[in-house]
Amino acid sequence: MNERKYEKPLPEVTPLTKPFWDSTKRHELVVQRCKSCGRYIWYPKAWCPFCGSRELEWAKVSGLGTVYAATTTRIVAGNSPAWGEELPYTIAIVDMDEGFRMYGRVVDVKPEEVEVGMRVEIYFEDATEEIAIPIFRPLEKKK
Amino acid sequence: MGGDIAIVGIGETPYSRARVKKGEIVMSAEEYTAWAASLALEDSGLTKGDMDGQGLAVVGSEWPHSEIWSAEIVQNLGFKPKLLLRGDFGGTNAVELIVQAAAALKAGMVDYVLFAGGDSPMLPPGENPNRTWRYELDYMRPFGLMGFISLAALMMQRHMYLYGTKQEHFGKIAVTQREHARLNPNAYVKTPMTMEDYLNSRILSDPLRMFDSTLFVNGGLAFILTKKELADKHAKNPIYILGYGLVHNYAEGDPALPDITTTGVKVAARDSLEMACISREKLDFLQLYDDFTGAVLMQIEDIGFCNKGEGGKFVEQTDISYRGTLPVNTGGGLISNGQPGMAAGFVQVVEAVKQLRGEAMNRQVNGARIGLVSGLGALAYGSNFANAGALILGVEP
Ligand SMILES: [Zn+2]
Repeated sequence: MNERKYEKPLPEVTPLTKPFWDSTKRHELVVQRCKSCGRYIWYPKAWCPFCGSRELEWAKVSGLGTVYAATTTRIVAGNSPAWGEELPYTIAIVDMDEGFRMYGRVVDVKPEEVEVGMRVEIYFEDATEEIAIPIFRPLEKKK
Repeated sequence: MGGDIAIVGIGETPYSRARVKKGEIVMSAEEYTAWAASLALEDSGLTKGDMDGQGLAVVGSEWPHSEIWSAEIVQNLGFKPKLLLRGDFGGTNAVELIVQAAAALKAGMVDYVLFAGGDSPMLPPGENPNRTWRYELDYMRPFGLMGFISLAALMMQRHMYLYGTKQEHFGKIAVTQREHARLNPNAYVKTPMTMEDYLNSRILSDPLRMFDSTLFVNGGLAFILTKKELADKHAKNPIYILGYGLVHNYAEGDPALPDITTTGVKVAARDSLEMACISREKLDFLQLYDDFTGAVLMQIEDIGFCNKGEGGKFVEQTDISYRGTLPVNTGGGLISNGQPGMAAGFVQVVEAVKQLRGEAMNRQVNGARIGLVSGLGALAYGSNFANAGALILGVEP
Protein backbone atom coordinates (compact mmCIF):
# COMPACT_ATOMS: atom_id res chain seq x y z
CA MET A 1 0.00 0.00 0.00
CA ASN A 2 1.22 3.44 -0.92
CA GLU A 3 2.21 5.38 2.20
CA ARG A 4 1.38 8.73 0.63
CA LYS A 5 -2.12 10.06 0.84
CA TYR A 6 -4.07 9.12 -2.30
CA GLU A 7 -5.15 12.36 -3.94
CA LYS A 8 -6.74 11.17 -7.17
CA PRO A 9 -10.53 10.97 -7.39
CA LEU A 10 -12.28 8.04 -5.76
CA PRO A 11 -15.68 6.58 -6.62
CA GLU A 12 -18.69 6.71 -4.36
CA VAL A 13 -19.52 3.19 -3.19
CA THR A 14 -23.26 2.53 -2.98
CA PRO A 15 -25.21 -0.62 -2.08
CA LEU A 16 -25.62 -1.22 -5.83
CA THR A 17 -21.92 -0.90 -6.66
CA LYS A 18 -20.42 -2.40 -3.48
CA PRO A 19 -20.01 -5.95 -4.87
CA PHE A 20 -17.89 -4.56 -7.68
CA TRP A 21 -15.66 -2.49 -5.41
CA ASP A 22 -15.42 -5.37 -2.91
CA SER A 23 -14.13 -7.55 -5.73
CA THR A 24 -11.52 -5.07 -6.93
CA LYS A 25 -10.27 -4.90 -3.34
CA ARG A 26 -9.67 -8.69 -3.63
CA HIS A 27 -8.00 -7.98 -7.01
CA GLU A 28 -10.74 -9.78 -8.86
CA LEU A 29 -12.98 -8.43 -11.58
CA VAL A 30 -16.67 -9.10 -10.94
CA VAL A 31 -19.42 -7.54 -13.06
CA GLN A 32 -23.16 -7.96 -13.36
CA ARG A 33 -24.59 -10.62 -15.64
CA CYS A 34 -28.23 -10.79 -16.68
CA LYS A 35 -29.88 -14.08 -15.71
CA SER A 36 -32.43 -13.62 -18.44
CA CYS A 37 -30.37 -12.81 -21.55
CA GLY A 38 -26.92 -13.75 -20.29
CA ARG A 39 -25.27 -10.46 -21.19
CA TYR A 40 -22.44 -9.09 -19.06
CA ILE A 41 -23.08 -5.51 -17.88
CA TRP A 42 -20.55 -2.78 -17.13
CA TYR A 43 -20.80 -0.40 -15.24
CA PRO A 44 -23.28 -1.51 -12.51
CA LYS A 45 -26.88 -0.88 -13.52
CA ALA A 46 -30.32 -1.05 -11.91
CA TRP A 47 -31.57 -3.55 -14.48
CA CYS A 48 -30.33 -5.23 -17.62
CA PRO A 49 -30.08 -2.42 -20.20
CA PHE A 50 -30.38 -5.01 -22.98
CA CYS A 51 -33.58 -6.83 -21.99
CA GLY A 52 -34.95 -5.00 -18.95
CA SER A 53 -34.69 -7.91 -16.56
CA ARG A 54 -34.05 -7.05 -12.91
CA GLU A 55 -32.63 -10.54 -12.32
CA LEU A 56 -28.93 -9.72 -12.25
CA GLU A 57 -26.10 -11.68 -10.66
CA TRP A 58 -22.47 -10.85 -10.02
CA ALA A 59 -20.09 -12.94 -12.10
CA LYS A 60 -16.30 -13.22 -11.98
CA VAL A 61 -14.78 -12.52 -15.39
CA SER A 62 -11.41 -13.19 -17.00
CA GLY A 63 -10.06 -9.65 -16.87
CA LEU A 64 -8.76 -10.15 -20.41
CA GLY A 65 -9.57 -7.85 -23.28
CA THR A 66 -8.48 -6.20 -26.50
CA VAL A 67 -7.67 -2.52 -27.07
CA TYR A 68 -10.39 -0.93 -29.26
CA ALA A 69 -8.93 2.60 -29.25
CA ALA A 70 -6.22 4.37 -27.27
CA THR A 71 -5.06 7.93 -26.70
CA THR A 72 -2.09 9.50 -24.97
CA THR A 73 -3.27 11.91 -22.30
CA ARG A 74 -1.05 14.99 -22.26
CA ILE A 75 -2.84 17.47 -20.02
CA VAL A 76 -5.03 17.44 -16.93
CA ALA A 77 -8.48 18.94 -17.51
CA GLY A 78 -11.80 18.10 -15.92
CA ASN A 79 -10.07 15.83 -13.43
CA SER A 80 -7.85 16.06 -10.37
CA PRO A 81 -4.48 17.84 -10.70
CA ALA A 82 -3.06 14.78 -8.95
CA TRP A 83 -3.03 13.02 -12.33
CA GLY A 84 -0.35 15.47 -13.44
CA GLU A 85 2.47 13.35 -12.02
CA GLU A 86 1.48 10.44 -14.30
CA LEU A 87 1.53 12.40 -17.57
CA PRO A 88 1.80 11.39 -20.32
CA TYR A 89 -0.23 8.20 -19.99
CA THR A 90 -2.50 6.03 -22.09
CA ILE A 91 -6.27 5.88 -21.83
CA ALA A 92 -7.91 3.06 -23.75
CA ILE A 93 -11.27 1.61 -24.57
CA VAL A 94 -10.91 -2.11 -23.92
CA ASP A 95 -13.39 -4.66 -25.25
CA MET A 96 -13.43 -7.42 -22.67
CA ASP A 97 -13.59 -11.07 -23.73
CA GLU A 98 -17.03 -11.47 -22.13
CA GLY A 99 -18.50 -8.80 -24.43
CA PHE A 100 -18.51 -5.60 -22.41
CA ARG A 101 -16.47 -2.43 -22.78
CA MET A 102 -14.35 -0.61 -20.16
CA TYR A 103 -12.25 2.54 -20.05
CA GLY A 104 -8.95 2.49 -18.26
CA ARG A 105 -5.28 3.39 -18.23
CA VAL A 106 -2.83 1.07 -19.95
CA VAL A 107 0.47 0.99 -18.10
CA ASP A 108 3.78 -0.95 -18.23
CA VAL A 109 4.07 0.02 -21.90
CA LYS A 110 5.10 3.22 -23.66
CA PRO A 111 2.07 5.20 -24.84
CA GLU A 112 3.22 5.05 -28.48
CA GLU A 113 3.40 1.26 -28.28
CA VAL A 114 -0.26 0.78 -27.30
CA GLU A 115 -2.06 -0.34 -30.46
CA VAL A 116 -5.57 -1.25 -31.45
CA GLY A 117 -5.91 -5.01 -31.17
CA MET A 118 -3.33 -5.31 -28.36
CA ARG A 119 -4.29 -7.95 -25.80
CA VAL A 120 -4.40 -6.60 -22.27
CA GLU A 121 -5.22 -7.88 -18.82
CA ILE A 122 -6.68 -6.06 -15.89
CA TYR A 123 -4.91 -5.58 -12.59
CA PHE A 124 -5.59 -3.36 -9.63
CA GLU A 125 -3.98 -0.40 -7.97
CA ASP A 126 -4.70 -0.19 -4.26
CA ALA A 127 -5.70 3.43 -3.82
CA THR A 128 -6.98 3.30 -0.24
CA GLU A 129 -7.93 0.63 2.31
CA GLU A 130 -11.35 0.46 0.67
CA ILE A 131 -10.78 1.09 -3.02
CA ALA A 132 -8.65 -0.58 -5.68
CA ILE A 133 -8.80 0.92 -9.18
CA PRO A 134 -8.73 -1.34 -12.26
CA ILE A 135 -5.85 -0.69 -14.67
CA PHE A 136 -4.74 -2.51 -17.82
CA ARG A 137 -1.33 -3.81 -18.85
CA PRO A 138 -0.16 -5.80 -21.87
CA LEU A 139 -0.95 -9.48 -21.46
CA GLU A 140 2.57 -10.64 -22.25
CA LYS A 141 4.12 -8.35 -19.64
CA LYS A 142 2.75 -10.28 -16.68
CA LYS A 143 4.57 -9.53 -13.45
CA MET B 1 -45.10 17.62 -43.73
CA GLY B 2 -43.35 20.25 -41.63
CA GLY B 3 -43.52 24.00 -41.98
CA ASP B 4 -46.31 24.66 -39.49
CA ILE B 5 -43.90 26.14 -36.93
CA ALA B 6 -41.66 29.17 -37.45
CA ILE B 7 -38.91 31.13 -35.75
CA VAL B 8 -39.89 34.81 -35.60
CA GLY B 9 -37.18 36.37 -33.49
CA ILE B 10 -33.57 35.75 -32.51
CA GLY B 11 -31.17 37.22 -30.01
CA GLU B 12 -27.50 36.68 -29.29
CA THR B 13 -25.43 38.46 -26.66
CA PRO B 14 -21.71 39.17 -27.00
CA TYR B 15 -19.52 36.45 -25.51
CA SER B 16 -17.03 36.72 -22.68
CA ARG B 17 -14.58 34.50 -20.86
CA ALA B 18 -14.90 36.71 -17.78
CA ARG B 19 -11.26 37.74 -17.97
CA VAL B 20 -11.60 40.84 -15.86
CA LYS B 21 -8.01 41.93 -16.42
CA LYS B 22 -8.67 42.05 -20.16
CA GLY B 23 -11.75 44.18 -19.59
CA GLU B 24 -14.23 41.41 -20.29
CA ILE B 25 -17.63 41.55 -18.64
CA VAL B 26 -18.63 39.16 -15.86
CA MET B 27 -22.29 38.16 -15.83
CA SER B 28 -24.33 35.29 -14.45
CA ALA B 29 -26.26 32.70 -16.45
CA GLU B 30 -29.46 34.42 -15.37
CA GLU B 31 -28.30 37.81 -16.62
CA TYR B 32 -27.37 36.31 -19.98
CA THR B 33 -30.73 34.55 -20.17
CA ALA B 34 -32.53 37.87 -19.62
CA TRP B 35 -30.28 39.74 -22.05
CA ALA B 36 -30.74 37.19 -24.83
CA ALA B 37 -34.51 37.04 -24.24
CA SER B 38 -34.82 40.82 -24.49
CA LEU B 39 -32.88 40.81 -27.79
CA ALA B 40 -35.14 38.10 -29.27
CA LEU B 41 -38.31 39.88 -28.12
CA GLU B 42 -37.10 43.13 -29.66
CA ASP B 43 -36.19 41.34 -32.90
CA SER B 44 -39.71 39.88 -33.17
CA GLY B 45 -41.59 42.99 -32.10
CA LEU B 46 -43.04 41.24 -29.06
CA THR B 47 -42.82 42.30 -25.43
CA LYS B 48 -42.23 40.38 -22.24
CA GLY B 49 -45.91 40.85 -21.39
CA ASP B 50 -46.91 39.14 -24.65
CA MET B 51 -45.28 36.01 -23.28
CA ASP B 52 -47.62 35.77 -20.26
CA GLY B 53 -49.54 32.51 -20.53
CA GLN B 54 -47.30 31.32 -23.37
CA GLY B 55 -44.34 28.94 -23.36
CA LEU B 56 -40.85 29.42 -21.97
CA ALA B 57 -37.96 27.04 -22.65
CA VAL B 58 -34.73 27.35 -20.69
CA VAL B 59 -31.55 25.34 -20.60
CA GLY B 60 -30.33 23.74 -17.39
CA SER B 61 -27.47 25.94 -16.38
CA GLU B 62 -24.43 24.04 -15.24
CA TRP B 63 -24.58 26.01 -12.03
CA PRO B 64 -24.35 23.73 -8.98
CA HIS B 65 -27.56 24.62 -7.18
CA SER B 66 -29.88 24.39 -10.15
CA GLU B 67 -32.36 21.81 -8.93
CA ILE B 68 -35.28 24.13 -9.71
CA TRP B 69 -33.50 26.25 -12.30
CA SER B 70 -36.56 26.88 -14.49
CA ALA B 71 -38.61 28.00 -11.48
CA GLU B 72 -35.79 30.27 -10.36
CA ILE B 73 -35.70 31.85 -13.81
CA VAL B 74 -39.46 32.51 -14.00
CA GLN B 75 -39.50 34.02 -10.52
CA ASN B 76 -36.36 36.08 -10.84
CA LEU B 77 -37.19 37.36 -14.33
CA GLY B 78 -40.93 37.65 -13.72
CA PHE B 79 -42.10 35.38 -16.51
CA LYS B 80 -45.60 33.88 -16.22
CA PRO B 81 -45.56 31.03 -18.72
CA LYS B 82 -48.26 28.40 -19.00
CA LEU B 83 -45.80 25.91 -20.45
CA LEU B 84 -42.34 25.72 -18.92
CA LEU B 85 -39.68 23.54 -20.55
CA ARG B 86 -36.18 22.89 -19.32
CA GLY B 87 -33.48 21.06 -21.23
CA ASP B 88 -30.98 18.76 -19.58
CA PHE B 89 -29.83 17.34 -22.90
CA GLY B 90 -26.43 19.04 -23.24
CA GLY B 91 -25.66 19.76 -26.89
CA THR B 92 -29.13 18.75 -28.07
CA ASN B 93 -30.94 21.23 -25.79
CA ALA B 94 -32.09 23.41 -28.69
CA VAL B 95 -33.30 20.63 -30.97
CA GLU B 96 -35.01 18.66 -28.19
CA LEU B 97 -36.80 21.71 -26.78
CA ILE B 98 -37.91 22.77 -30.27
CA VAL B 99 -39.47 19.34 -30.80
CA GLN B 100 -41.25 19.58 -27.44
CA ALA B 101 -42.39 23.14 -28.10
CA ALA B 102 -43.61 22.24 -31.59
CA ALA B 103 -45.85 19.56 -30.08
CA ALA B 104 -47.35 22.08 -27.63
CA LEU B 105 -47.83 24.69 -30.38
CA LYS B 106 -49.48 22.17 -32.73
CA ALA B 107 -51.74 20.95 -29.91
CA GLY B 108 -52.94 24.52 -29.39
CA MET B 109 -51.71 24.75 -25.82
CA VAL B 110 -49.78 27.98 -26.50
CA ASP B 111 -49.20 30.35 -29.43
CA TYR B 112 -45.60 31.29 -28.67
CA VAL B 113 -42.62 29.67 -27.00
CA LEU B 114 -39.71 31.86 -25.99
CA PHE B 115 -36.41 29.99 -25.93
CA ALA B 116 -34.00 31.69 -23.54
CA GLY B 117 -30.60 30.05 -23.30
CA GLY B 118 -27.92 31.56 -21.12
CA ASP B 119 -24.97 30.09 -19.31
CA SER B 120 -21.79 31.22 -17.60
CA PRO B 121 -19.40 28.29 -17.56
CA MET B 122 -16.45 30.65 -17.01
CA LEU B 123 -17.91 32.33 -13.94
CA PRO B 124 -16.99 33.24 -11.37
CA PRO B 125 -13.27 32.78 -11.88
CA GLY B 126 -11.92 30.05 -9.60
CA GLU B 127 -15.38 28.94 -8.58
CA ASN B 128 -16.30 26.71 -11.46
CA PRO B 129 -18.85 24.13 -10.43
CA ASN B 130 -17.97 20.46 -10.56
CA ARG B 131 -19.90 19.89 -13.75
CA THR B 132 -20.30 16.23 -14.40
CA TRP B 133 -22.48 13.18 -14.02
CA ARG B 134 -22.49 10.00 -12.01
CA TYR B 135 -20.76 7.60 -14.40
CA GLU B 136 -17.98 10.09 -14.93
CA LEU B 137 -17.48 10.52 -11.18
CA ASP B 138 -17.42 6.78 -10.47
CA TYR B 139 -15.98 5.12 -13.57
CA MET B 140 -14.08 7.76 -15.47
CA ARG B 141 -12.31 10.28 -13.22
CA PRO B 142 -10.94 7.63 -10.82
CA PHE B 143 -9.78 5.67 -13.88
CA GLY B 144 -7.76 8.63 -15.20
CA LEU B 145 -10.04 9.94 -17.96
CA MET B 146 -10.06 13.67 -18.75
CA GLY B 147 -13.75 13.79 -19.57
CA PHE B 148 -14.59 15.28 -22.96
CA ILE B 149 -10.94 15.42 -23.98
CA SER B 150 -10.35 11.68 -23.59
CA LEU B 151 -13.61 10.65 -25.24
CA ALA B 152 -13.25 13.00 -28.21
CA ALA B 153 -9.66 11.85 -28.70
CA LEU B 154 -10.69 8.18 -28.62
CA MET B 155 -13.36 8.74 -31.30
CA MET B 156 -10.84 10.52 -33.53
CA GLN B 157 -8.20 7.82 -32.93
CA ARG B 158 -10.63 5.08 -33.89
CA HIS B 159 -11.58 6.96 -37.04
CA MET B 160 -7.92 7.43 -37.97
CA TYR B 161 -7.18 3.76 -37.26
CA LEU B 162 -10.08 2.40 -39.29
CA TYR B 163 -10.03 4.81 -42.21
CA GLY B 164 -6.63 6.46 -42.38
CA THR B 165 -8.09 9.86 -41.54
CA LYS B 166 -5.33 12.45 -41.16
CA GLN B 167 -4.73 15.32 -38.76
CA GLU B 168 -4.95 17.67 -41.72
CA HIS B 169 -8.55 16.56 -42.33
CA PHE B 170 -9.55 17.67 -38.85
CA GLY B 171 -7.37 20.73 -39.37
CA LYS B 172 -9.28 21.75 -42.49
CA ILE B 173 -12.47 21.92 -40.41
CA ALA B 174 -10.79 23.97 -37.66
CA VAL B 175 -9.15 26.37 -40.12
CA THR B 176 -12.36 26.89 -42.12
CA GLN B 177 -14.41 27.53 -39.00
CA ARG B 178 -11.85 30.05 -37.79
CA GLU B 179 -12.13 31.86 -41.11
CA HIS B 180 -15.90 31.99 -40.52
CA ALA B 181 -15.46 33.30 -36.98
CA ARG B 182 -13.28 36.11 -38.31
CA LEU B 183 -16.20 37.16 -40.54
CA ASN B 184 -18.71 36.90 -37.67
CA PRO B 185 -18.74 40.09 -35.57
CA ASN B 186 -20.18 38.20 -32.60
CA ALA B 187 -17.71 35.29 -32.55
CA TYR B 188 -15.31 35.17 -29.61
CA VAL B 189 -12.11 34.12 -31.40
CA LYS B 190 -10.78 36.39 -34.14
CA THR B 191 -7.11 35.37 -34.33
CA PRO B 192 -6.18 34.12 -37.81
CA MET B 193 -5.28 30.43 -38.05
CA THR B 194 -3.42 28.59 -40.82
CA MET B 195 -3.02 24.84 -41.22
CA GLU B 196 0.52 25.31 -39.92
CA ASP B 197 -0.81 27.06 -36.81
CA TYR B 198 -3.24 24.19 -36.35
CA LEU B 199 -0.55 21.52 -36.70
CA ASN B 200 1.66 23.39 -34.23
CA SER B 201 -1.09 23.77 -31.65
CA ARG B 202 -0.95 21.91 -28.38
CA ILE B 203 -2.09 18.28 -28.28
CA LEU B 204 -4.42 17.67 -25.34
CA SER B 205 -4.84 13.94 -25.91
CA ASP B 206 -3.66 12.39 -29.18
CA PRO B 207 -4.77 13.41 -31.75
CA LEU B 208 -7.09 16.04 -30.20
CA ARG B 209 -5.52 19.49 -30.29
CA MET B 210 -6.49 22.66 -28.54
CA PHE B 211 -7.74 23.96 -31.90
CA ASP B 212 -9.93 20.88 -32.38
CA SER B 213 -11.88 21.60 -29.22
CA THR B 214 -14.84 23.67 -28.18
CA LEU B 215 -14.10 26.92 -26.39
CA PHE B 216 -16.24 27.67 -23.34
CA VAL B 217 -17.61 31.20 -23.17
CA ASN B 218 -20.26 32.97 -21.15
CA GLY B 219 -23.19 34.19 -23.17
CA GLY B 220 -26.82 33.86 -24.11
CA LEU B 221 -28.92 33.12 -27.16
CA ALA B 222 -32.67 33.20 -27.59
CA PHE B 223 -35.34 32.69 -30.21
CA ILE B 224 -39.12 32.67 -30.46
CA LEU B 225 -41.27 29.94 -31.98
CA THR B 226 -44.83 30.38 -33.15
CA LYS B 227 -47.45 28.75 -35.36
CA LYS B 228 -47.55 29.31 -39.09
CA GLU B 229 -50.79 31.34 -38.71
CA LEU B 230 -48.98 33.97 -36.62
CA ALA B 231 -45.63 33.80 -38.36
CA ASP B 232 -46.14 36.75 -40.72
CA LYS B 233 -47.17 39.18 -37.97
CA HIS B 234 -43.59 39.95 -36.96
CA ALA B 235 -40.87 42.37 -37.88
CA LYS B 236 -38.62 39.92 -39.75
CA ASN B 237 -39.28 37.19 -42.27
CA PRO B 238 -40.23 33.97 -40.47
CA ILE B 239 -37.94 30.96 -40.80
CA TYR B 240 -39.88 27.71 -40.92
CA ILE B 241 -39.09 24.44 -39.23
CA LEU B 242 -39.60 21.92 -41.99
CA GLY B 243 -38.53 18.77 -40.24
CA TYR B 244 -36.88 17.33 -37.18
CA GLY B 245 -35.47 14.08 -35.89
CA LEU B 246 -34.28 12.86 -32.50
CA VAL B 247 -32.67 9.66 -31.27
CA HIS B 248 -31.34 8.66 -27.88
CA ASN B 249 -28.86 6.00 -26.83
CA TYR B 250 -28.09 5.24 -30.46
CA ALA B 251 -25.58 2.47 -31.01
CA GLU B 252 -24.23 1.42 -34.39
CA GLY B 253 -23.70 -2.34 -34.18
CA ASP B 254 -23.67 -4.38 -30.97
CA PRO B 255 -25.22 -2.17 -28.25
CA ALA B 256 -22.52 -3.25 -25.79
CA LEU B 257 -19.64 -2.78 -28.26
CA PRO B 258 -20.84 -0.09 -30.66
CA ASP B 259 -18.87 1.65 -33.40
CA ILE B 260 -17.86 4.94 -31.73
CA THR B 261 -17.29 6.66 -35.09
CA THR B 262 -21.00 6.78 -35.97
CA THR B 263 -23.32 9.35 -34.37
CA GLY B 264 -27.10 9.26 -33.90
CA VAL B 265 -27.26 12.13 -36.39
CA LYS B 266 -27.31 9.31 -38.96
CA VAL B 267 -30.87 8.57 -37.83
CA ALA B 268 -31.92 12.07 -36.77
CA ALA B 269 -30.85 13.72 -40.04
CA ARG B 270 -32.53 11.01 -42.12
CA ASP B 271 -35.78 11.45 -40.17
CA SER B 272 -35.67 15.24 -40.38
CA LEU B 273 -35.09 15.17 -44.16
CA GLU B 274 -37.94 12.68 -44.58
CA MET B 275 -40.27 14.91 -42.56
CA ALA B 276 -39.28 17.90 -44.68
CA CYS B 277 -39.71 15.82 -47.85
CA ILE B 278 -36.35 16.91 -49.22
CA SER B 279 -33.08 15.22 -50.14
CA ARG B 280 -29.77 16.23 -48.58
CA GLU B 281 -28.68 17.70 -51.91
CA LYS B 282 -31.22 20.51 -51.33
CA LEU B 283 -29.37 21.69 -48.21
CA ASP B 284 -27.62 25.02 -48.72
CA PHE B 285 -25.59 24.75 -45.51
CA LEU B 286 -24.99 22.64 -42.42
CA GLN B 287 -24.73 23.96 -38.88
CA LEU B 288 -23.28 20.85 -37.21
CA TYR B 289 -22.75 20.45 -33.51
CA ASP B 290 -19.00 20.78 -33.10
CA ASP B 291 -17.67 20.30 -29.61
CA PHE B 292 -14.68 18.90 -31.54
CA THR B 293 -13.68 18.76 -35.20
CA GLY B 294 -14.03 14.97 -35.32
CA ALA B 295 -17.74 15.29 -34.54
CA VAL B 296 -18.18 17.46 -37.65
CA LEU B 297 -16.34 14.95 -39.82
CA MET B 298 -18.39 12.02 -38.49
CA GLN B 299 -21.67 13.86 -39.03
CA ILE B 300 -20.84 14.75 -42.65
CA GLU B 301 -20.53 10.98 -43.19
CA ASP B 302 -23.60 10.16 -41.11
CA ILE B 303 -25.83 12.58 -43.04
CA GLY B 304 -24.67 10.75 -46.15
CA PHE B 305 -22.55 13.25 -48.05
CA CYS B 306 -20.00 10.44 -48.32
CA ASN B 307 -19.64 6.88 -47.04
CA LYS B 308 -18.54 6.16 -43.49
CA GLY B 309 -14.77 6.50 -43.40
CA GLU B 310 -14.51 8.82 -46.41
CA GLY B 311 -15.10 12.00 -44.41
CA GLY B 312 -11.43 12.91 -44.34
CA LYS B 313 -11.05 12.74 -48.09
CA PHE B 314 -14.42 14.47 -48.56
CA VAL B 315 -13.43 17.39 -46.38
CA GLU B 316 -10.06 17.62 -48.12
CA GLN B 317 -11.68 17.80 -51.56
CA THR B 318 -14.70 19.97 -50.68
CA ASP B 319 -14.89 23.68 -50.03
CA ILE B 320 -16.79 23.73 -46.72
CA SER B 321 -16.51 27.49 -46.34
CA TYR B 322 -19.49 29.83 -46.72
CA ARG B 323 -18.48 30.28 -50.39
CA GLY B 324 -18.19 26.57 -51.03
CA THR B 325 -20.31 23.73 -52.32
CA LEU B 326 -21.17 22.55 -48.81
CA PRO B 327 -20.90 25.39 -46.28
CA VAL B 328 -20.39 24.07 -42.73
CA ASN B 329 -20.59 26.01 -39.46
CA THR B 330 -20.64 29.39 -41.12
CA GLY B 331 -20.49 31.39 -37.89
CA GLY B 332 -17.37 29.67 -36.57
CA GLY B 333 -19.14 26.96 -34.57
CA LEU B 334 -18.47 26.19 -30.94
CA ILE B 335 -14.77 25.81 -31.74
CA SER B 336 -14.27 29.43 -32.80
CA ASN B 337 -17.54 31.24 -32.08
CA GLY B 338 -17.42 29.79 -28.56
CA GLN B 339 -19.67 27.46 -26.57
CA PRO B 340 -21.94 29.26 -24.10
CA GLY B 341 -22.20 26.26 -21.76
CA MET B 342 -25.52 24.49 -21.96
CA ALA B 343 -26.89 27.00 -24.48
CA ALA B 344 -24.41 25.44 -26.93
CA GLY B 345 -27.01 24.11 -29.38
CA PHE B 346 -28.63 27.55 -29.66
CA VAL B 347 -25.54 28.79 -31.52
CA GLN B 348 -26.31 26.58 -34.53
CA VAL B 349 -30.00 27.57 -34.63
CA VAL B 350 -29.33 31.31 -34.46
CA GLU B 351 -26.63 31.13 -37.16
CA ALA B 352 -29.00 29.14 -39.40
CA VAL B 353 -31.72 31.78 -39.00
CA LYS B 354 -29.26 34.58 -39.80
CA GLN B 355 -28.18 32.75 -42.97
CA LEU B 356 -31.76 32.10 -44.09
CA ARG B 357 -32.78 35.71 -43.43
CA GLY B 358 -29.80 36.90 -45.41
CA GLU B 359 -28.37 38.64 -42.35
CA ALA B 360 -25.00 36.87 -42.29
CA MET B 361 -23.14 39.80 -43.85
CA ASN B 362 -19.62 38.94 -45.05
CA ARG B 363 -20.14 35.23 -44.46
CA GLN B 364 -23.55 35.01 -46.18
CA VAL B 365 -24.17 31.77 -48.09
CA ASN B 366 -25.39 32.96 -51.46
CA GLY B 367 -29.10 32.28 -51.93
CA ALA B 368 -29.46 30.16 -48.80
CA ARG B 369 -33.02 28.78 -48.61
CA ILE B 370 -32.79 25.52 -46.66
CA GLY B 371 -30.31 24.42 -44.01
CA LEU B 372 -29.70 21.66 -41.50
CA VAL B 373 -28.92 22.15 -37.82
CA SER B 374 -27.71 19.26 -35.67
CA GLY B 375 -27.22 18.63 -31.97
CA LEU B 376 -25.13 16.07 -30.12
CA GLY B 377 -25.32 15.79 -26.35
CA ALA B 378 -24.18 13.71 -23.39
CA LEU B 379 -20.96 11.82 -24.05
CA ALA B 380 -21.92 8.22 -23.46
CA TYR B 381 -19.84 5.59 -21.67
CA GLY B 382 -18.12 3.32 -24.18
CA SER B 383 -20.08 4.75 -27.06
CA ASN B 384 -20.62 8.03 -28.86
CA PHE B 385 -23.18 10.66 -27.82
CA ALA B 386 -26.33 9.59 -25.97
CA ASN B 387 -28.44 12.38 -27.51
CA ALA B 388 -28.63 13.30 -31.18
CA GLY B 389 -30.99 15.54 -33.08
CA ALA B 390 -31.43 17.38 -36.37
CA LEU B 391 -33.63 20.18 -37.69
CA ILE B 392 -34.37 21.34 -41.19
CA LEU B 393 -35.02 25.09 -41.47
CA GLY B 394 -36.24 26.91 -44.54
CA VAL B 395 -37.45 30.27 -45.80
CA GLU B 396 -40.80 28.87 -46.99
CA PRO B 397 -43.28 26.64 -45.13
ZN1 LIG C 1 -30.81 -9.06 -20.04
